[in-house]
Amino acid sequence: MAASEIHGHGQHAGMWVFPDATVISQDISAKTRSMPKPFTIALAVTGILFILGVVGFVARAADSGFDEIAPWGYYMAMFSMVFMVTSAAPLAAVAFRFTKSHWRRPLSRVSELFSIIGILNVAMFIPLMLVLPSLDNPAGVVEGQLELRRTIWIEGPIGAPLAWDFLGVLFLALTSMAILWVSAMPDMAESRDTATGFRGWVYRRLSSNWYGTKRQWNAQKAGLALLGAFYFMIMIFVHFEISSDYAQSLIPGWKDSIFPVIYSVTSIQMALGAILITMFIMRRWGGYEGYYGKAPFWSASKVLLGVTLLWIYHLFAFFITFWYGRMEVEQNIIKYLITDTYAIVFLVNLVFTFVAPFVILIWNPVRRSAWGPSLAGLLALIGGLAFNIRIFVGSANAAPGAKLYDSFMEHVPAPVYPDVWDVFMVIGGISAAIFIYLAASKLLPLLSLWEVKEGTMYQKWGKLFRGEYLILAKPE
Amino acid sequence: MQEGTPLQSRQINAELLRTILNSPKWFWIAISILGLIVLFAMAAAGIMINKGMGVTGLNRPVMWGFFITNFVFWIGISHAGVMLSAILRLSKAEWRRPATRAAEILTVFSLMTAMMMPLIHTGRPWRLVYWIYTLPFVPYDYARGIWPNVRSPLVWDPSAVYTYLTSSILFVIIALVPDFAVLRDRTTGMSNRIYGMLAMGWQGNPRQWKLQIIAGVLLSALILPVFVSVHSIVSWDFGMAVSVKSWHSTIFAPYFVVGAVHSGVSAVAFVLIILRYIYGWQNYIRHEHIDALGRLLIVVATGWFYFLVMEIIFGIYGREADEIAVRSLQFTVNPWAIWMLIFVVITYFLPVAIWLSKTGRRNLWIMSFACISVNIGMWLERFLIIVPGLARKQLLTFDWYTYRPSAIEWILVGGTFAMVSMLMLFIARVVPLIPLYDIKEAEILRTSIKIGRVSVPATFRED
Amino acid sequence: MANRPILGLFEKADDAADAGDALKSAGVDQKDYDFLTDAPYPEGAFGERHESHRLYIFPFVGALIGLTVGVMLTSMTQMAYPLVQGGKPILALPPMAVVTYESTMLTAIIFTIIGIIFESRLPSFKKGLYDTRITEGYIGVLVNVEEDQLNQTQTLLTQAGAIDVVRQSGGSAA
Repeated sequence: MAASEIHGHGQHAGMWVFPDATVISQDISAKTRSMPKPFTIALAVTGILFILGVVGFVARAADSGFDEIAPWGYYMAMFSMVFMVTSAAPLAAVAFRFTKSHWRRPLSRVSELFSIIGILNVAMFIPLMLVLPSLDNPAGVVEGQLELRRTIWIEGPIGAPLAWDFLGVLFLALTSMAILWVSAMPDMAESRDTATGFRGWVYRRLSSNWYGTKRQWNAQKAGLALLGAFYFMIMIFVHFEISSDYAQSLIPGWKDSIFPVIYSVTSIQMALGAILITMFIMRRWGGYEGYYGKAPFWSASKVLLGVTLLWIYHLFAFFITFWYGRMEVEQNIIKYLITDTYAIVFLVNLVFTFVAPFVILIWNPVRRSAWGPSLAGLLALIGGLAFNIRIFVGSANAAPGAKLYDSFMEHVPAPVYPDVWDVFMVIGGISAAIFIYLAASKLLPLLSLWEVKEGTMYQKWGKLFRGEYLILAKPE
Repeated sequence: MQEGTPLQSRQINAELLRTILNSPKWFWIAISILGLIVLFAMAAAGIMINKGMGVTGLNRPVMWGFFITNFVFWIGISHAGVMLSAILRLSKAEWRRPATRAAEILTVFSLMTAMMMPLIHTGRPWRLVYWIYTLPFVPYDYARGIWPNVRSPLVWDPSAVYTYLTSSILFVIIALVPDFAVLRDRTTGMSNRIYGMLAMGWQGNPRQWKLQIIAGVLLSALILPVFVSVHSIVSWDFGMAVSVKSWHSTIFAPYFVVGAVHSGVSAVAFVLIILRYIYGWQNYIRHEHIDALGRLLIVVATGWFYFLVMEIIFGIYGREADEIAVRSLQFTVNPWAIWMLIFVVITYFLPVAIWLSKTGRRNLWIMSFACISVNIGMWLERFLIIVPGLARKQLLTFDWYTYRPSAIEWILVGGTFAMVSMLMLFIARVVPLIPLYDIKEAEILRTSIKIGRVSVPATFRED
Repeated sequence: MANRPILGLFEKADDAADAGDALKSAGVDQKDYDFLTDAPYPEGAFGERHESHRLYIFPFVGALIGLTVGVMLTSMTQMAYPLVQGGKPILALPPMAVVTYESTMLTAIIFTIIGIIFESRLPSFKKGLYDTRITEGYIGVLVNVEEDQLNQTQTLLTQAGAIDVVRQSGGSAA
C-alpha cells in the first residue's frame, strides 16, 4: 500500500490523494506483476466467452455467408459498441491533458489503455467490409429507385466507401496506440532494467532511448499534444463514416445531419462510463484507492453530466425536426427507430443513457462519491448497447435486397430478434474487449506514473489564515 | 497563468470605478454621436411604418431578409455572455474574472436589440397585440378569424428569448449586489440612495459571500441549458418547416448554437480590448486573458466548422432537386458563390490562422481584427442561410427570385450596432463592467508553489 | 439587558482572525460575531462558524411549479382551440416540450434568485453597525455583546490589532 495523504474537510474528504513519490513506482509495478485470484478468474471467464463469440461468428458465417447484410445486424451493433467505447476512451486523456486539468492525472492511463483494443476493432471491421452492399444499384436504372444509393461519398471517390472506412479505423487504432506509446515511454523506461520476461522485453524495445532529458520531456509534451489533436479529428471523421455508411445510408430516405454528432456524443459518454467503471473496480478491489482519489470521479462526473445532457439535446433536435417535417419518410423513420418497431429498445436507450444517469448525477453528494459516477457510467454503457442495437440492427434490416435503392422507406419493417449466434457474438465481442484490456493491464500499469509524480509537484496543502486549502499551480 | 502585479482593494476600487465616479469629455461626445445614429435609424423605421414594407427589398419569395438576419445575429452575440461566464465559472477558470460581467451585460443588450428586429419586421408592430392577446393573459384570438397556429415553433421563440432575457438580467443584478455596496459607500446624495437600495443592505458577512459564490455556480448551471435552448429555438424557426428544403436539417440547432458562441465570444474579446483601451484597464484585462479567449476560440471555431461541413454534406446527401437548387445557388452562382467563399475564409481560416500563433493572440490589434472578421463572417453566414434558401424556395421555378436590401434596411441594421454600443457605454457609466469582488478574490487566493528554482503561480481552491 | 454592536476594523486578515480567536476564548458565542469583508474569503479562513443553508431546495420547487404551469398552459391552449394543423394531433406532446421546458427553467431561476436573497438575509436596510472602510479593504469584526461588556470587547479588539473600533455607524450603510 502506498503511503498516501488523505486530505480535505467534511464532504471533501479523500477528494485529493497525493501518493508518495518514493514508493509509488515499486508499489505500482508490484501491483502490475501480481495475479490475484479474482483477476485470473475474470481473465479466464472473458477468455472463454471470447471463444464463444468466435464460435458464434463462424456459425453465422457458415449459416448466412457474407452476401447479405441483414443477418449481420447484431454483429454490427456489437462492433459499434466496442468501437464507440474504445475509440473515444483515449480522448479523455487527450482532452484533459489539453485543458491542463490536474484531476485527470490518475485517470489518463486508464483511458489510454483502451487504445490496445484498437487491434480488435480493426479485426472485427474486416467482415463488415464484406457485407456492405454496393453503392451502385445492381439493377441499373429502375423506375422509382436510385441509380446510386444515398451516401456521404456523394458520387463516390476511388475506393469509397470501404477503403476509406478501413483506413479510418486503422489510422484511428494506430494513432491511439502511438499516443499510448509516447505517454507510457517514461514509465516503461523506469522499470526496463528491473522488469523481466515479456514485459521487460517490451519495455526495453519501446523505451530504449528514453533518459528523461529536458529535450525529451519537451518533445513528449509536444508530441502528445499534436497526436491528441490529430486523434480527435480522425475520431470525429471515422465516427462520421461508420455512422453514415453502416447506419444512415442503409435506411432509404434517412437524411439526418445530426446523426454523426449523436454517434460521437454517445461514444464519448460510453467511453467516460467505461473509464469510471474501470477506475471504480481498481479502486475498490485492485488496491488503487491510494492513487485514485475522489477528485477524478467528481470532475469526470461533471463532464459525464454535460455529455448526458448533450445526448438528449441532440436526440430532441433530430426528433422535433422529423416530427414537424411530417413527410412520410420522416414519419416512417420515427416509427421505425423510436415509436414502433424498436420502441422498447429505444425506451431502454432513453432511460439508461439519459434519464437514470441524469437523475443520479444531479446530486452533488452522489457525484462526490466514487460509486455514483461509476454507476451512472455503467447505466450509460447499457443504454449505449441499446442505442447500437436500435440503430445497427435497424439499419441492417431496413431495406432487404433491391429495396435498399428505393428513394425512401415506404413500409416500416418488423423488429429483428437475435438468434443464439447473435447472442454469442454480442457477448463474445464485448468479452474479447474486456479480455484484451485485462491482459494489457498486466503489461502496462494502470497509473501514469510520470503524470502523477508531476502532479504532486503542482499541488499541495496550505494555510490561508485559519483554514487549510488545496493549492493548485498551473504551469504555462 | 497570472501575470499581473498584486493589487490593493483601494486601488481596485479607484481604477474600476473611475468610469462611474467621473466621466470624461469624450463620453458625452461618443454618446451623442451614437444617439444620433440611433435616432436616424428610428426615423428610417418610422418611414417604413408610414409607407409600408414596400420600402424594403423584401419581395416574394424572399420575405425574410436583413431584419431576420440581424435578429439571428444579435441573438448569437447574446450567447457569449452566459456561455463565457457560466462555463468558465463552472470549470473554475481563473481567467474568467475580468470577462464575466461585460459578457453578461452584452448578453442583455444584444437580446433586447434582437427582439426589436422581428417586431420591426412585422411592419405594423402594434398589431402584434391582438395577434397574441385578447384579454390580458389569454393567448390567441380565434374570434377575429385570425386562426393562429398554436403549435407553431414561432411561439417558442418569445418564450425562450424572454426566459433568457429575464434570467440574464437577474443573474447580472445578483452578481452586482456586492459592487452596488461598494458604490453605495463611495457616493453621496441621490446616487447614494439608489445604490443603497440596490445593495439591499449588503454587509459582506461570510454567509452573504458564501451564498453569492454558490449563486454564481448554481445560476450558471441553470442558465446554461436555457442559453442552449434559445439559439436552438431560433434555428427551429427555420428548421421545422419543410417548404424550404435547405433549412429542414436536423443539425440546425447545435450548428446555430456553436455559431452563436463563435461570434459571441469573439465579440466579447473585442469588447474587452476596447474597454482596456478606453478605460486604461491594463492591470485587469491582461494579455493572458485575451490569449486564453483566443485559444478557446480555436476550439469553438473548429467545432463550428465541423457542424458547417456536416450541414453542407447532408444537404447534398439527399440529392433532392429543391435542395440542390439552393446549394447550386449558394456555391456556383455569383455573387452568392463569392460571398460564400468570403464567409468561410473570414469566419474560419483567417481567424484560426491568427489564433494559432501566440503573437497573433497577444497582439491586440490583430486580435481585434480577427474578432471583427469573425463577426462579419457570422452575419454573412445567417444571410447566406436565409436568403438563398428562400430565393429557391420551391420547385415552381417561375417564383425564383433574388433579394436586394434597400437603404432603409441598411440604416436599420447599422442603427442596431450603434444602439448596442451606446447602451454598453451608458451602462459602463452606472455599474462597474469588471466585477470588483471577483478581482479582489483573485488577489486573496493568489499564491505560488516553488519547484526547484522556479516559482509557479498557484491559487487556493476550496475543492 | 440589550445587546449592543461594536465593530473593529482591521487592516490585516490575520489580525481579524486573531480577534476571532480571542473572542472565542473570551467566551463570546460564535453566533454573536461576524467578519465583514469586501471580497469572498474561502470558507473557514477566519475560523468562523459554519453557515448552513437550504438554497438547493429553491430551484427544485421552482422547477416543479414551472413544469406544472407549462404543462397546463400548453395542453389547455391546444385543447381550447381544437383545430388540426399540418396533420398533427390536437393534443400533441412535442410542441409542448419547448414551452414547458422554458417555463420550468424560468421559474427555477426566479426561485433560485428569491432563494439567494432570502438565504443571504437580504434586504436588511435597518440592520446593524457598518463602516464604509470595509469596502476599501478593511476587515470588520462585528460583535454583539451586552452593554457592560462593550469596553472589554473594545480592548480585546484593539489588542488583536484593530486600527479603529466603532460603536456608531460612520458610513452610509444603514
